Amino acid sequence: MSGLKLKGLRKAYGGFEVIRGVDLEIEPKEFVVFVGPSGCGKSTILRMIAGLEDISGGELFIGDRMVNDVDASKRGIAMVFQSYALYPHMTVEENMGFALKYAGESKETIKRQVAEAARILGLEALLSRRPKDLSGGQRQRVAIGRAIVRHPEVFLFDEPLSNLDAELRLQMRIEIARLHKELGTTIIYVTHDQVEAMTLADKIVVLRDGRIEQVGSPLDLYDNPKNQFVAGFIGSPKMNFLPAKIQGGRLSLVGYAGQSLPLPPLETAPLDGTEVMIGIRPEHFTKDGQAALELTVEIVENLGNETYAYARQGHAEMLTIAMQGDRSTRPGSAVSARFDPQKMFLFDMKGERIF
Amino acid sequence: MAQTRLGRNENISGWAFIAPAMVLLGIFMIWPILWSLWMSFQTGRGMNMSFGGLSNIIRLTEDPIFVKALGNTLTFLAIQVPIMIMMALIFAVMLNSPRLRFRGLFRTAIFLPAVTSLVAYSILFKSLFSTDGFVNASLIALGLSERGVNWMGDPFYAKIVIITAITWRWTGYNMIFYLAALQNIDKSIYEAARIDGIPAHAQFFKITVPMLKPVILFTTIMSTIGTLQLFDEVQNITLGGPANATLTLSQYIYNLTFRFMPSFGYAATVSYVIVVLVAILSFVQFYVARDRK
Ligand SMILES: Nc1ncnc2c1ncn2[C@@H]1O[C@H](COP(=O)(O)OP(=O)(O)O)[C@@H](O)[C@H]1O
Ligand SMILES: [Mg+2]
Repeated sequence: MSGLKLKGLRKAYGGFEVIRGVDLEIEPKEFVVFVGPSGCGKSTILRMIAGLEDISGGELFIGDRMVNDVDASKRGIAMVFQSYALYPHMTVEENMGFALKYAGESKETIKRQVAEAARILGLEALLSRRPKDLSGGQRQRVAIGRAIVRHPEVFLFDEPLSNLDAELRLQMRIEIARLHKELGTTIIYVTHDQVEAMTLADKIVVLRDGRIEQVGSPLDLYDNPKNQFVAGFIGSPKMNFLPAKIQGGRLSLVGYAGQSLPLPPLETAPLDGTEVMIGIRPEHFTKDGQAALELTVEIVENLGNETYAYARQGHAEMLTIAMQGDRSTRPGSAVSARFDPQKMFLFDMKGERIF
Repeated sequence: MAQTRLGRNENISGWAFIAPAMVLLGIFMIWPILWSLWMSFQTGRGMNMSFGGLSNIIRLTEDPIFVKALGNTLTFLAIQVPIMIMMALIFAVMLNSPRLRFRGLFRTAIFLPAVTSLVAYSILFKSLFSTDGFVNASLIALGLSERGVNWMGDPFYAKIVIITAITWRWTGYNMIFYLAALQNIDKSIYEAARIDGIPAHAQFFKITVPMLKPVILFTTIMSTIGTLQLFDEVQNITLGGPANATLTLSQYIYNLTFRFMPSFGYAATVSYVIVVLVAILSFVQFYVARDRK
């Protein structure tokens, strides 16, 4: 199995740069997930790796081979598309064997490989069906099967689960994780869903506007986001952000009637009056926290295993609080949201993390 | 089931609403069709007709002009329709490629003939292919021919002119159907094929053509019917000549009815030959294109 190396990768459409210099190393057998908001360039990078888009600048290595000018079919990759992209007039068996036929494989080899892929994916009973007679999940399996039979060095997935309903999405997510274990291939997986990213990835690459914001393991990104964007993107529900001002060595909360919090130790002490952003994860509100925010609950969501309260003080920003099993909270009630100031994050106004 | 009064009233107004259309259809479509079927068993000249049983059908087999017209029509059909369908497909695929520049311009240029009047373009082709016309002048200027080709005077070349003309007129028309169908195909299917290493010719024959099969069937049947009824072009360009070398069935029906001593009965019989041909060929085409499991 091959690793990949992206060196200063760029892509421009008619003078407008959508990928602005991406450097990344992917180890062999690694499961890498690209996440980022819609339009940030995830698909474009994936398609450049696949050979479906020309590379405007930089170098792309698969294994030790520079593949900038290598045809898509010769890169040792296979891709699974969001729309499945199955050949509608062919049966499941023909869909999976089609590439092998043109790779010059013998009839027996094709039959064996297709049967093997069908076994791995549980498609044996469906081999003579057409895509239109399959459910969404089955189609996605066929698309994966079509990729498997070619024994690629690298699998590329572009939002493969976006067209499935929630239950199937979960089921296929587990399936893909299992496949990765079983096949041991390098996988690059694109999604805008941070839950998919957190659960599947060995390594997450967070993208914004054609640039990498941060690379790291899921827990790395959760515990140590480099900036406000990554902090807000990773974690569900989203991190709360409270604007604050530094005054007399303390954090004065904006919109909280003069309440202030102790300033954590920073590398360079900021000047009085500097505006900053405090980040607190909803699950970091705990009963034994040393600091407290006095809030009024507006909305309560009971999910059974967890209860989320949406609360604020006056007209300040609405905060999300995980109630840690406390189901008694009602809209309109007052809550003292306690948290440990050691666990909060601090960002400067450019969004860079300072604590 | 017992009918309520309300149900019966609704029934009556329903029929009342469609009655005018039914009457018109009956008078101008169904009646003439039945009448012509009846006529095809009549013999005689002008209004002086009598029941002749199968004599018109026997006459068909002994009529050298009919055999000639039938042969010409089938020749046009066998050569022109496949060429046109293939060209229309290729143009459609090329014009659908995002890499092609000036796509809009080419699309318009290829489709434009389909909106020109049949008579106008026929006259244009007649002048292009006349002995001192543009085509001959070009051939001579390019040194491809010494004195030009006698297009209209030669049975072989006259057929070529007719085939060229109808191909020019109808290729763009068929292309539009393919283009519309192609634009509905998910682009990622071709991207998947590219990654799968499927060569371009296989992408065309094994992916594009099968996916367009319903549209190809439709255009083939429509073109078959159109060519079996070919009239305007031959009437205006060659008048069926030389020596009936381009005479078509429709033209022969016209001649039987309006040019020679009117022979309505026999003309109706020839019309039914076209009906039978359309039915047989459509059936064959449906059969060939059926979904095999
Ligand atoms: N063919 C194209 N021409 C011009 N711009 C494009 C093209 N394809 C994508 N883009 C632009 O590139 C950016 C990244 O797109 P994409 O990679 O599809 O985003 P993502 O997959 O992260 O949602 C978007 O702003 C999009 O508008
Ligand atoms: Mg995308």
